[in-house]
Amino acid sequence: MPVPVPVGVLRLPRGPDGCSRGFSPASPRFQALLGGDAAAQGVRAALRQRYLRGLAAARGRPTRFCLRAGVRVDAVFGAADVEAVAFQVDALRTPLGVQAAALLRCTDVLAYSFLLD
Amino acid sequence: MQIASRHNVLDVGNMNDWQRKSPLDWETYVNKMVKVAAIERHEYEGWVLTVDPVSASIVLATFLENEKVSISVVLGHAVQEVEILKEGDDEMKQRLSCIFAPEESKAYSPEELEKRKNDLKTWLETNHIPVTEQGESGRTLCVAGVLTVDPPYGPEECSSSNEIILSRVQGLIQGYLEKQQLVDANA
Repeated sequence: MPVPVPVGVLRLPRGPDGCSRGFSPASPRFQALLGGDAAAQGVRAALRQRYLRGLAAARGRPTRFCLRAGVRVDAVFGAADVEAVAFQVDALRTPLGVQAAALLRCTDVLAYSFLLD
Repeated sequence: MQIASRHNVLDVGNMNDWQRKSPLDWETYVNKMVKVAAIERHEYEGWVLTVDPVSASIVLATFLENEKVSISVVLGHAVQEVEILKEGDDEMKQRLSCIFAPEESKAYSPEELEKRKNDLKTWLETNHIPVTEQGESGRTLCVAGVLTVDPPYGPEECSSSNEIILSRVQGLIQGYLEKQQLVDANA
């Protein structure tokens, strides 16, 4: 009879409580991450909300990205991910032609700018 | 066989001084004219709209002559030094706060806001969606304990850390408001 191979147990961190948004200052996750400073959390939320509104405003706008080593590329801003790993852009103009959709690594991007009317 | 990757996915150990600051430190730069010195000798100037607490990226606004606003975002990892050049007065603060405000957030009177809130709350309750009031004088609606709706109670004012619930409830509120507009137009 074959002996079943034991499977390793993967322990994931505990998620937010079922009845909270995960931001409650009393939640174990908040305590672990930010040590219970409610004032700082309020400021953090306000800063983040404005940043997210800014991302929403950037969507669909022609944007110039300034990359490392002085490289500048133009594209239409699409979206950013939660952890700021990459930007999704459309119509990226590269020296080899226009790329319909692309991801730009955030670590390669120094800055980007766009116009609001 | 080498299993462990030699790459650090999160460069936590490589954070610069700017990224290590706390939200309270970043907030002191908001609404001020600054000069940002970035790596590779880049420099940026503008009014600070916000600093993203996740990536420490600085969002700068500059007002152009043709009434347009140029937004520049300097990523947190590229920031070397931030120097405050000028403080913003109340007029500038007001001007900056309007830049990213959602388009439909026109001025509502307190009575209109109260009515919008109660109408939405009643509609959610008749559709068996649990909703409570929270915040100062209950101005924020809390849906199922996981999503909040701030005044003026449109889809753009929904906040939730759960994007699936967020998009569903935004869709519901959008549909509700469209139906309301039809009713108002016929009345």
